[in-house]
Amino acid sequence: MAVYRRSYKPYSGTLTAPWSRFLVLFRYSRRTLFRSKLQTGFFVACFFYPIACLVMIYLAHSIGFLAKIGIPPSLISIDNMFFFRFMSVQGVLAFLMTAFAGPGLISPDLANGALPLYFCRPFSRAEYVLGKSSVLAILLSEITWVPGVILFLIQASFAGASWTWENLWIAGSLILGSLIWIAILSMLAMALSAWVKWRVVAGALLLAVMFFGAGFAQAINAVLRVDAGHFFDVGYLVASVWMGLFKVDAERVISASQAWMALLVYSAVCLWLLMRKVRAYEVIQ
Amino acid sequence: MSTTIQLGAPAGNNESKPAGAPSVALIELNGLTVRFGNRDILRNLTAALHGRAIGLLGPNGAGKSTLINTLLGFYQPISGSARVFGRDIHRELRTIRSLVGYMPENDAFISKMSAVSFVQMMGELSGLPSGVALERAHEALFYVGLAEARYRQLGTYSLGMKQLAKLAQAIVHGPKLLILDEPTNGLDPSARQRMIRMIREIRDGQEMRIVLCSHLLRDVEDTCDEVLILKQGQIAHYSDLDEERRANKRFLELETYNANGDFTAAIEKLGCECAVTANRMKMVLADGVETRDIFRIAAEQQVRIRRMNFRRDTLEDIFLKAMES
Amino acid sequence: MSDRIVFEDVSKFYGEILGVNKVNLSIPPGITSLVGPNGSGKTTLMNLMTGLVKPSRGRIEVLGIATDDPEKMFRLVGYSTQFDAFPKGLTGFQFIYSYLCIAGMPAPEAERTAWQAIERVNLVDAASRKVAAYSKGMRQRIRLAQALAHNPKVLVLDEPLNGLDPLARAEMIALFRASAAEGCYVIISSHILHEVDVISDQVILLSNGYVVAEGQIQTVRNEIQEHPTQILVRCDRPRDLAARLFQSEYMIEASIHKDGRGVLLKTRDADRFYLAMNELALDGIQIESIAPADDDVLSVYEYLIGNEEVVR
Repeated sequence: MAVYRRSYKPYSGTLTAPWSRFLVLFRYSRRTLFRSKLQTGFFVACFFYPIACLVMIYLAHSIGFLAKIGIPPSLISIDNMFFFRFMSVQGVLAFLMTAFAGPGLISPDLANGALPLYFCRPFSRAEYVLGKSSVLAILLSEITWVPGVILFLIQASFAGASWTWENLWIAGSLILGSLIWIAILSMLAMALSAWVKWRVVAGALLLAVMFFGAGFAQAINAVLRVDAGHFFDVGYLVASVWMGLFKVDAERVISASQAWMALLVYSAVCLWLLMRKVRAYEVIQ
Repeated sequence: MSTTIQLGAPAGNNESKPAGAPSVALIELNGLTVRFGNRDILRNLTAALHGRAIGLLGPNGAGKSTLINTLLGFYQPISGSARVFGRDIHRELRTIRSLVGYMPENDAFISKMSAVSFVQMMGELSGLPSGVALERAHEALFYVGLAEARYRQLGTYSLGMKQLAKLAQAIVHGPKLLILDEPTNGLDPSARQRMIRMIREIRDGQEMRIVLCSHLLRDVEDTCDEVLILKQGQIAHYSDLDEERRANKRFLELETYNANGDFTAAIEKLGCECAVTANRMKMVLADGVETRDIFRIAAEQQVRIRRMNFRRDTLEDIFLKAMES
Repeated sequence: MSDRIVFEDVSKFYGEILGVNKVNLSIPPGITSLVGPNGSGKTTLMNLMTGLVKPSRGRIEVLGIATDDPEKMFRLVGYSTQFDAFPKGLTGFQFIYSYLCIAGMPAPEAERTAWQAIERVNLVDAASRKVAAYSKGMRQRIRLAQALAHNPKVLVLDEPLNGLDPLARAEMIALFRASAAEGCYVIISSHILHEVDVISDQVILLSNGYVVAEGQIQTVRNEIQEHPTQILVRCDRPRDLAARLFQSEYMIEASIHKDGRGVLLKTRDADRFYLAMNELALDGIQIESIAPADDDVLSVYEYLIGNEEVVR
């Protein structure tokens, strides 16, 4: 018989690959996120519109069925506008999703001083930011370009090679448009989450940035009689970008390329703010 | 925690102990200088520390936390270098961090995570595979005494429990060096005793070395064999406590119940210098005088000696002397 | 009694939660330490003593003054809490000065008194800096200064040495001793039992809201009859020593120390034991050291309050 003493034992087994450590954050954050029923419910609800789109695509190719219920086929056209509308709707949902899921990413770590524990391990600040952003990036991708591209492929399978060849650029636009939106949303949410200790306040601030930004933009335009006020309106900027990407004809005061630049700059600024806050100990002068 | 005898050796569990190489310095500092803004917090620190448990002492603002943070790579030195287990902090920081476990002084936890998830995540971040991390998280929590509460959220923990959770995450990945910053902070007397006992166990277990940063000299005295005292960013003193303890055997401390002036007078007649406060006496034994002479006088005067020991320069004296210089 | 702090059958409940129950105390001048696990009622007791909280039952009097008389109480009492809180935006000096003005001191006197208090805690250099920029130890000291600025007769200090480095600890302890020597009543709560041992004149042990023991530590120890006195003796021939001692009927138990050079002895009669030690030393046993193994606060604490292994 052996009687065992429970005591501390060192570890000399295998270690996981260093590059993959940021995924630990991904797994844990995701698990915590989806523990909330509200989050899961909202996530599922984000697929209602894509499913509606799927039905539309199917209908568009079921001429016989359409004739039976008396709708002229020209009414349902699967073109760039169709995908532009898809982008817009899912974009709004992505924004709401970020407001909900984003703040809880970094605030809890800051609230009780857990950051030094992350960085006293073989784990860098860059990996931390990468890990946390990957949660949002993947989550938002799952409701923007991933269903979008799937819809595109389904449409392509119905519509045939020539249509696909002519409209391939739409798939690219879906991906690019989503990515820039994901980038600005993630960076903004995380920067707010890092500078504000309470989740709820960070979430509210994100909403505020969008809505007050829009209001502020209008105010500036009206008062100073310029159009540059729109640079404060992130929603306006991203709409310009999407209109450009999807070749939607509209009079935009701020061109697509200007909007691109602005959004990239904002993302970079947010990233910089984020990195400033994410460190083991702040040096107080 | 029951300690019992091992009758049959469990298979495959024999880790060959590292050939005890006390010559590999635990921490080497070489002209280390750290600056914040325009203030030098650490100035030109140079030392080589070998002990099993090293105490880091100093008044507030002396640079103890800064030194620890620099060794962990949170701050960049402006000049000079340092090595931990022979690894340079400039070049092999990640390796150092994988060998070190850190228990910070301030609150460090994630409110909504259970202790098990928290410690497991920390283990995974240190490179443990997921399943192993979970096993070791449970082990670590049992070891520190949080067995009953390990499924509860950290936000519900009392201060003492949070300290233990911090200790658990510091040891989960099996580090070779444990850095403890004020580990008994806020703990009530029972919890303090347990913590000190655990630190001594870890030190005696030979697997982990310890750096203990504390204001409570008694704690450091009870657990450390080497002490580094910082003052205003420089090394004020370095002491090997083991050596100090083996030193001078001529100082005696005495406490009695009923001694009076006669007792002191009789001792002084033997040629010993005496200093008396209340019922406590400190004396230097003259050459040729042994303790039995003291006992003889006590027997003659029916004095009851409550306490008697050869005084070693306690850490408090060493510390105060270091501060004065 | 108007020269003591008196608790007469005092209980305090917060709703159904127990703060303290049936406390009877009579605290003389000098340094009194409150000792007990977290949640045992130390802070409640201190709040009751300073009148910040009214007892649910019972009566409290501080030097003859009832505690529900804040005007009189706070001239007499100075309180330093364990919480690290202070008004934002004030410098160290302003912090103390403003409280003195509130207490009704005219401005020039308040200024002088504030500086005196700051000098006593050794914070003169930092007094013009904002308290928010202080280190933990400095904030502790400025709170102490605020408690003793108006030279109260009763100082109630909740964990006053928290966060202080060894030098500052020694300084503050000297400060408390000086106050006690002037006839003040210094009530301190602490977890560091070996310090409590050295500095206190009397101790009050609390557990779960009850006073478990109070008085001078040796008297308390002597009253715990069922536990015989334990003494650790280090010598060259411990077995020999034990054998000889066992010939007397007051020796109960002897345990040889792990390293073979010491023996832990339990005896029913400490006095006779000590006298016997003198004789044995003359008889050829080389005694290296004698130390009472349980005549201190820590041991009494462990007997009465216990070493809880399970973390609550």
